[in-house]
Amino acid sequence: MPSKKQEVEVSEAVEIADQEMVDTEALEEEIPVIDSNKIQILPGASEDGTAASFRILQEDHTLGNALRYIIMKNPEVEFCGYSIPHPSEAAMNLRIQTYGEITAVQALEKGLDDLVDLCNVIESEFKEAISKKDYETSQPIDN
Amino acid sequence: MAYTKPRNRVGIEHDRVTDVSSTDFPGYYPGEDHSWSIEKFKNHFKVHIEYLNELNSEFDLIGVDPSIANAFRRIMISEIPTLAIEYVYIENNTSIIQDEVLAHRLGLIPLKANPDYMHWFKKDDPEFEPTDYDTLVLHLSAKCTVNPNAPEGTTDPKMLYNNAHVYARDIVYEPQGHQTEWYPDGVTAANPDILIAKLRPGQEIDLSMHCILGIGQDHAKFSPVATASYRLLPTIDIIGEPITGELASKFKSCFPKGVVAINSKGEAVVKDARKDTVSREVLRHPEFEGRVKLGRQRDHFIYCVESTGAIPPDQIFLKSVQLLKKKCEILRKFNLSA
Amino acid sequence: MNRDTFLPPTSQTSNSAAAAGRAYQPTQAITYLCANCAAPNTLSRSDPVRCRECGHRVLYKQRTRRMVQFEAR
Repeated sequence: MPSKKQEVEVSEAVEIADQEMVDTEALEEEIPVIDSNKIQILPGASEDGTAASFRILQEDHTLGNALRYIIMKNPEVEFCGYSIPHPSEAAMNLRIQTYGEITAVQALEKGLDDLVDLCNVIESEFKEAISKKDYETSQPIDN
Repeated sequence: MAYTKPRNRVGIEHDRVTDVSSTDFPGYYPGEDHSWSIEKFKNHFKVHIEYLNELNSEFDLIGVDPSIANAFRRIMISEIPTLAIEYVYIENNTSIIQDEVLAHRLGLIPLKANPDYMHWFKKDDPEFEPTDYDTLVLHLSAKCTVNPNAPEGTTDPKMLYNNAHVYARDIVYEPQGHQTEWYPDGVTAANPDILIAKLRPGQEIDLSMHCILGIGQDHAKFSPVATASYRLLPTIDIIGEPITGELASKFKSCFPKGVVAINSKGEAVVKDARKDTVSREVLRHPEFEGRVKLGRQRDHFIYCVESTGAIPPDQIFLKSVQLLKKKCEILRKFNLSA
Repeated sequence: MNRDTFLPPTSQTSNSAAAAGRAYQPTQAITYLCANCAAPNTLSRSDPVRCRECGHRVLYKQRTRRMVQFEAR
């Protein structure tokens, strides 16, 4: 159905012209408004904080499984698992239990830091591989 | 000599796959250290680029876990922002293609426009007015007429009429404000030959379009990739005595061209397992039973990324890495200890 | 209420006009387009449905001149 919305005119945006120049990194600059409830600790965490479940909004298997892997790589962590409780809710639950030396929050924070490090390595290695320029530019044809 | 399968190997038998899950976790193997170490990762991780051009690419990530590899694939498909036609303002459409169908077709046309310059168009804010920072304006108008100079006796509509076919190349970009700096070469469809509609004399299409940023999760038209997929590197291990003579050529014919070669001694050797399609044909023949092990290397991902034309494939992958990093950084900002 | 006795002045539905057996008075001439030669034809009520240029018997009502907005989804 066509909406009844009026035709939208693109403003010339002259007033923005003398603003700070120039958005080549519009993506970097524009920080989306982040929900203050983006991550919550679910009720039922252990007293000493060594076992807790988190609810992370607007995330799915993409972050869930990657985070699960990197947290499981921590030898202080006894258990880490994630689930998406319902497909029509954009939320992901993450469960962390530790052996008692660190809290679940610390395990999560270490996991996030490790994942950032991992991404940095992949990014720089990939950039290096690209900059070497020693690759083919067309798909090899099998004979 | 007994065959021992490496730990990072998925086994492929005639009717099943084995050892599918990673085992490189602390506590899995007694006395071994599998805790996360960035140094260890750095030493093991490798990137190989098989080929790369403006539209297609195949590259390998070696030494990563499936959970990480899959995250990049998922982000490439559904979370990298691109520009696509979102609003269509139809002034006139007397073609046989209905307004809503025409609008849908237009939306799916991939645009050659760098999305990095644009800001988000705030769709949920009813007060939000489009500006040159968040909206590209395109026009499409075509009117079909009879061609008086058509050759005698022709039945080809393209000869009989002018503008019988409307293509994506007929879309005209109208720069707004600062956009002349960002898009000095204008904005065009990535594939100019996409047929949008067919017209007959007297029929006319006249419309304008607004393009905004979006992600593939919201609508497939915003996905920067035609496909982004990965497969694991196939492995073929000939075990025990070499396969020779007649049997060697039979062995060779069980695989696609170029996978197996026969060396000077007449023995079958694996030349390029990457080319294998893992059809498992070799496992159907009793004479090869116990002489070959098929598998896949669990930490060797062969990515295939095909761009729609807006962003080159290498940039798409890099953006996916940056996006995953950003997700972590956003979560890291929350103080959960309090 | 009897249909014949009351007719709202704005009501021009074909239903009520036909039921009342009254002639439909077009407020303005309506132009149709020939399906064959695309020639505009202005028809009144009693005119045969036929193109004046080519005699084709299929005529189309013209499309609205208003802009219509769609979401490309």
